[in-house]
Amino acid sequence: MEAVESVNLLKVYRNKETVEALKGVTISIRKGELFTLLGPNGAGKTTFLRIISTQLLPTKGEAYVLGYDVLAQANYVRKHIAVVPQDAATYGNFTPWEYSYYFAMLRGMPRQQAKGYAEKALKAVELWNLRNRTCATLSGGEKKRTIIASALASDADILMLDEPTSGLDALARRSVWAVLREMVEQGKTILLTTHIMEEAEMVSDRLAIISKGKLIAEGTPEQIKRLTKDKFRVVVEGSLSSLGVPEDSNRVTKFGSKWIVYLEDEDEALEIVRTALKKGLKAETAPITLEDVFVKLVGGEAE
Amino acid sequence: MNAKIVRDVLIIAMMRSIPDLKRQPLLLTLLGLISALPLFFMMMFGGQLSNGLIGAMVATTGFIGLMAAIQDIAGDRYLKIREIIVAMPVHPISYAMGIAFAPLIISSPGLVIFAALAMWLGVLTFSSLLWSIVILILCWATLSSLGFLISTYLQRASIYTLNTLSNLLGIALVFLPPVYYPEEMLSSFSWIALLFPTSNAAGLIRIYAGLLDAAAVMILVRWSILVTTMIACTIAILAKAKWRET
Repeated sequence: MEAVESVNLLKVYRNKETVEALKGVTISIRKGELFTLLGPNGAGKTTFLRIISTQLLPTKGEAYVLGYDVLAQANYVRKHIAVVPQDAATYGNFTPWEYSYYFAMLRGMPRQQAKGYAEKALKAVELWNLRNRTCATLSGGEKKRTIIASALASDADILMLDEPTSGLDALARRSVWAVLREMVEQGKTILLTTHIMEEAEMVSDRLAIISKGKLIAEGTPEQIKRLTKDKFRVVVEGSLSSLGVPEDSNRVTKFGSKWIVYLEDEDEALEIVRTALKKGLKAETAPITLEDVFVKLVGGEAE
Repeated sequence: MNAKIVRDVLIIAMMRSIPDLKRQPLLLTLLGLISALPLFFMMMFGGQLSNGLIGAMVATTGFIGLMAAIQDIAGDRYLKIREIIVAMPVHPISYAMGIAFAPLIISSPGLVIFAALAMWLGVLTFSSLLWSIVILILCWATLSSLGFLISTYLQRASIYTLNTLSNLLGIALVFLPPVYYPEEMLSSFSWIALLFPTSNAAGLIRIYAGLLDAAAVMILVRWSILVTTMIACTIAILAKAKWRET
């Protein structure tokens, strides 16, 4: 049995204008994996997560969490999940301890057990020493970790986090990643949404790229990176035409005075770098990143 | 109602009251006494303190029920706390009742002071106090349901709009009808008191306190109106409230 499964999930918002947020998304998330939904803003990531977490009704399609139907068996689903919504904020008068403790109590835990889980969660997100400070006095990252801790304290089988690191600095983001990976190692399943490529590449066991409500690609980060022919990128600062590379090629992207050239062959990439250096230009090569592939896939979709 | 639902009501009520009470006990007690402010003016202008005290008790319970339902739920929606709770094994009734119950805990010191003062001044006896508690609970439940209904219909309204609306409704339900003043002052229009759950509740308490004469049938009519309004508001909220968005 899959941890999460969606079959042709469709969501249409009918307000002043009709928006198709999900256009038949079929995804399977295995137990014990960290699965990331990667997509640009407005791709439908949050809509998918909100349907799976029983907050929003789909227009059509089916979705299951641990085999329970999210439509007909929402109460069973809710026993097994914990959610961190996008841009969730804290009550200023609450302490991190109160957040974790009360939310654990609401899961139906006895008082002592709730205390134990709250302590474990706050230690996991490194907020134990700040547990008695009110949220109003915490930094943005600490507030975010407070909310994540309240989800961890639930001891739910599946954690669903909607862009949990948005707005965090690099250090805070990495500490959240570490917590998420630790949870996966403890057997939890995590569904994460993000538009941060590095995050998707660093923490995911598998990921799906979603754009304009459609699933574009699904697989491990390495599998996704193999979806384009190009395997290497060369970054050159200066004139590209002097290196014999046409500037109007569809394998070339320009950022101000910098160029990125995508290539299939490593030798070819190294040759461009060598030529550029001989001509006194700055150049370097590296394997393509998930971001490169994402831009190609989603950019192509946009076209 | 199963035990988990009741337990969750208490947990949510504690969540929304104990941290605040722990951190600003004095401020919250003083704010709870704000309903006593009209008493000052009433005494200045020769009004009856007895009627005013009953009004203050009704205003405290009614106003907080309405305010909590509108403002707290709007706040929770803004902070995304509601989304977290919807995805938890928590019944919507627990959430609604917990939210409405929390300000009752916060304002309980004020209510105790008003009740003690009313008993000390001889406005209420022990038995009339017990009747008053039942009436106040019904009034609180009615206005809380009304508040939930409003916040359900105004899902997209801003916090500012909802706060303003709840303040206006508070004034309309607490200060305009005969809550602080006896309904006899409206002479031939005294029936207006029956239309508002707040003034109806205040009238009933005055009857039990011996401040208002009413025939047995009129007492029955008043109770019927109070209970029916509460049931109607509760049914409306159960039918119309959307826990899961569409």
